[in-house]
Amino acid sequence: MLVALSIFQLSYVLLLSPLIFGILAKLEERIESKQGPRIFQPYHDIFKLLRKESVIPSVASPLFKSAPYVSFSFYMILTLVLPIITAFPLSFGPTVDFIGGGLTFGAAATIKKLSSLDSRSNYSHLGTSRASSVGALAEPIIVLIFIMLGVLSKTNNPYVINNVLQHSRSWYFSLVHWFVSASFFMILIVELGKLPIESHSTSELGMIDQAMEMEYSGIELAFFKWGGYIKKFLLMSVFLNVYTVPFWVPLSVNIPGILAYSLIHFIKLIVLVVILALIEETISKLRLFKIFDYISISFAFAFLAILAFYITRGGF
Amino acid sequence: MQGIFSLTGFFLIVLLFFMQWEVYVKNIIITFSVSSFILSGFLLYLGIVNEEHILLALSALTAAVRGFFIPYIMLYSLRKDTWRARESEPLMGTATSILISVLIVIFAYILYRSTLYGFIKVPEGSLPIALMLQGSFLMISRRNTFIQMVGYMVMENAIILFSGYIFPGLPFVIEAGVILDLIGIVMIFALLMRIRENTISSGTPDSYENIEELKG
Repeated sequence: MLVALSIFQLSYVLLLSPLIFGILAKLEERIESKQGPRIFQPYHDIFKLLRKESVIPSVASPLFKSAPYVSFSFYMILTLVLPIITAFPLSFGPTVDFIGGGLTFGAAATIKKLSSLDSRSNYSHLGTSRASSVGALAEPIIVLIFIMLGVLSKTNNPYVINNVLQHSRSWYFSLVHWFVSASFFMILIVELGKLPIESHSTSELGMIDQAMEMEYSGIELAFFKWGGYIKKFLLMSVFLNVYTVPFWVPLSVNIPGILAYSLIHFIKLIVLVVILALIEETISKLRLFKIFDYISISFAFAFLAILAFYITRGGF
Repeated sequence: MQGIFSLTGFFLIVLLFFMQWEVYVKNIIITFSVSSFILSGFLLYLGIVNEEHILLALSALTAAVRGFFIPYIMLYSLRKDTWRARESEPLMGTATSILISVLIVIFAYILYRSTLYGFIKVPEGSLPIALMLQGSFLMISRRNTFIQMVGYMVMENAIILFSGYIFPGLPFVIEAGVILDLIGIVMIFALLMRIRENTISSGTPDSYENIEELKG
């Protein structure tokens, strides 16, 4: 049964992740009073790229060609171990905890950075440099957030954290939890590459993650894009299921309940997408060096969570 | 009660982080006004729960004087001095000042735990002390006079938060004095700023020496 549910969860994420970002793009355009692309446009883009010829720089090593597939497979592994549509671990759930999941995300990002360096393109190098600078400051905050979640649930397991927050009102409404959530939301925006951090346009001035894929084309670009959608979908799901709205996630094997929650989870994601679209349309992009100020606020929230724990809960 | 106090204290600290981030004086003044209204709400809650009319009066005074009157006067003055609308040369970068603010909060916690906590036994007591130190840091880290005034008033808000929760039985005249002395401070600041500007616009370079201490 767990294997079947794992396959269902994998298919759910693989198939729906482009749709969520199609809805986000459509919403943003509608807010700007434009018609916008169809919500299925990401699928069209992926299928179009799958049929296109790949162009590989003559100076690139074999890493350049294999990196999209490797990073895509990392995201598929993550799909099998994170709480997306169930609050109990599926077949691969016990293989990693939160730190393991973070390391897998980090490994996929590192592969992408190495491959973009391998392309020898100036724009890709520019994107890698920026992403590394931002990541070097954002990653420790994520570790701090994991530590606080560990304090909260006395474990590093995302399923247990979900269970604790589902059942304990005192933890759910605690300042510790909400400071951690605020901090993670700020980091989520960094990871999603949304405003005020990154503007997706044809201008290289605001590019971070987008610039790293500059030399890719054809099937490899399709896998990078699809992998990117899955990564963002997973991070949003973790934010919803583990941090902010841990409710209604099925705690036991119950097929109708899991199917119903799949729909509820999709609705939760759409609500988050609406919030992200509103943020994206109401604020302007920060200058690159100002991103570090933004990250420092996120760090301050994560640190306040520790202090709130000491003050309101009496420390460890 | 403890939960509400912690919530108020942390919320005021977060608003101070926003003040450290912000460079536009108008937004900082509005944020101060919001923080004063939150403080007023806390005093109102405290007054209703403890059935103390003095706290209700203090809540009304805080809302009227700190939430509305002083921010209004400052925004009115700011409209005349458009060149003061933005902090153009902060002494340190935003990220640095926020990190120092975080360190101040930790320092206040350690300081409180090792000194006053032994007598008061209120775990949340470090929050107003952190606010007080952060207010003084806001004054130090900015050159703009309006922001320095806001820093000073944040320190006074912290004192009210501290005394309102931990020593609710203080005489009204002392509590009201803390709130109302701000009006005097704002007036003195306004006078000094006016004298400084008149001297700069009409005086010779020699006359600047008389006011060179009034930086900001």
